[in-house]
Amino acid sequence: MKQPLLRVRNLSKIFGPGCPRCAADTGPEAGTNICPHCRSVVACHDIGFDLHTDEVLGVVGESGSGKSTVLRLLHFDWEATAGEVMLYENGRSPDGGGTGFDGVNLLSLGSYRQRMIRNRIMGIVFQNPHLGLKMHISSGGNIAERLLAAGWRHVGEIRRQAGELLERTEVPRARMDEPPKHFSGGMQQRVQIAKALSNSPAILLLDELTTGLDVSVQARVLDLIRRLHREMQVATLVVSHDLGVVRMLTRRTLVMKCGRIVEAGLTDQILEDPRHPYTQLMVSSML
Amino acid sequence: MRLQEWIRSTDRSEGGCVDYNFAFLDEGAKREIRRKTLKAVAIPGYQVPFGSRELPIARGWGTGGLQLTLSLIGSSDVLKVIDQGSDDSVNAVNIRKFIESVTGVALTTNTLEASLIQTRHRIPEEPLNEKQILVFQVPIPEPLRFVEPSERETRRMHAEADYSPMWLYLYEDIVRFREITIGARYPVMVNRRYVMDPSPIPRWDVPRLHMAKALYLFGAGREKRIYAIPPFTRVEPLEFDDYRFRVESFEGRCCARCGARNTFLDEVPDDDTGGRTFMCSDTAHCEKRRSGEAPSP
Repeated sequence: MKQPLLRVRNLSKIFGPGCPRCAADTGPEAGTNICPHCRSVVACHDIGFDLHTDEVLGVVGESGSGKSTVLRLLHFDWEATAGEVMLYENGRSPDGGGTGFDGVNLLSLGSYRQRMIRNRIMGIVFQNPHLGLKMHISSGGNIAERLLAAGWRHVGEIRRQAGELLERTEVPRARMDEPPKHFSGGMQQRVQIAKALSNSPAILLLDELTTGLDVSVQARVLDLIRRLHREMQVATLVVSHDLGVVRMLTRRTLVMKCGRIVEAGLTDQILEDPRHPYTQLMVSSML
Repeated sequence: MRLQEWIRSTDRSEGGCVDYNFAFLDEGAKREIRRKTLKAVAIPGYQVPFGSRELPIARGWGTGGLQLTLSLIGSSDVLKVIDQGSDDSVNAVNIRKFIESVTGVALTTNTLEASLIQTRHRIPEEPLNEKQILVFQVPIPEPLRFVEPSERETRRMHAEADYSPMWLYLYEDIVRFREITIGARYPVMVNRRYVMDPSPIPRWDVPRLHMAKALYLFGAGREKRIYAIPPFTRVEPLEFDDYRFRVESFEGRCCARCGARNTFLDEVPDDDTGGRTFMCSDTAHCEKRRSGEAPSP
């Protein structure tokens, strides 16, 4: 079998002091992710999956099931309590778009190196554009920030790249020097996508990207993601509570509840023939 | 007792004040500042926190530079103090008088004679040598303060060399004004690692930080930080490949007193005629050229 790009194993995040019984007494069987003994919140526990190059992997679940936590851990925004995230670059050298950390557990690195890896191979789109964009700085500047972090030092080239990205994400190039606070929600989301794609990432993380947009704008953003994925072949992790989004974008899906993965498999299989009671409930509640 | 009376009443026959330690600070304080200075020299551009002492002048008036000077000075040193290039402005005169009264060292205005120079916002025009130390007075030691108000956050940014917000600031400046509009306090990269505030020196002086022979020390008394550029260290202003750093241009101007065309000039408005004249900011160098001691342009 082909080697994955990312291999995630035993990933856990506990907010609070934590105790030896945290893992056993939380989860879908217990129906909670708050430990009854030490009151710690087990945001996610024992998460394991593979992410392959050029695949789109979905993560679904209700609010508080730990989906976004997994994403934040992969993006090094939070420090994991336990677990490992192995990166496999198939021998790509740092000059060929690699990071030089082939076969390394990324969570064991220091924050300096993690930042470098994030700048070089990751892009993230948050549900709320306020988290991903600086609202008072021009849209072009927002994209430039990523490029500057990746070491670009030529204003003309930065502007050309930013303009191209904005065009690909259907933001008029003429509005490049306007701050995103002047834009509509859908347009802000597209600027965020352009920013995430600016360093040609190997891994794209999408966190509830269509939540809060109206349906016609949702459809266009999803179309955009599908088109970009076809063109750029980037490994994508889609976190959503919307089964429609997951059905449209992904081949494989993980279902999470109370910080655990309760079901994993092909997306259409999960939607047509859900096994876990929670997945069945979720699918039957679809509009 | 007022300070002036106290200074007058002191006996300077033994090279200092009777009631005070040599160079005002107690030996423990001097040792601490020297230790922090050594650390600063060892990590070029890194801001080292230190215990800023109370002095007879208020914080924000050069106490950082003054404490560095007082901790370094010995009785054989020759001291020069300048304020924006001038030996005669109030800040320079007061600091010079104070140091003289507590140490009794020799004073000079000649850059080449001085072993220790304390400066506010200028580097002397004449090149410094390996035996000289230049002490800067720094109002705001944190170069990232433009872009990030939180100290905790700026320390993290320095630790991780995360300078993209600073670069973004320069990029936005170019987008808005077609050039980088920072005048004094131009941020520099020291030894390819730390972004550093060179204190509010004009851009004119920035290239002279690079691979210099003298030791540059920076003291911020109010903000309690010491940092340094050791001799022969790479110091590069932040610039883009297509928008290079450039110094102030005095194209077509020269000093009204000495005629120099290759010095940093101050613009002096003339109230009577409404016109403007330009004069050397480094007054000692200007004076030398007028008397024929220094070479003509």
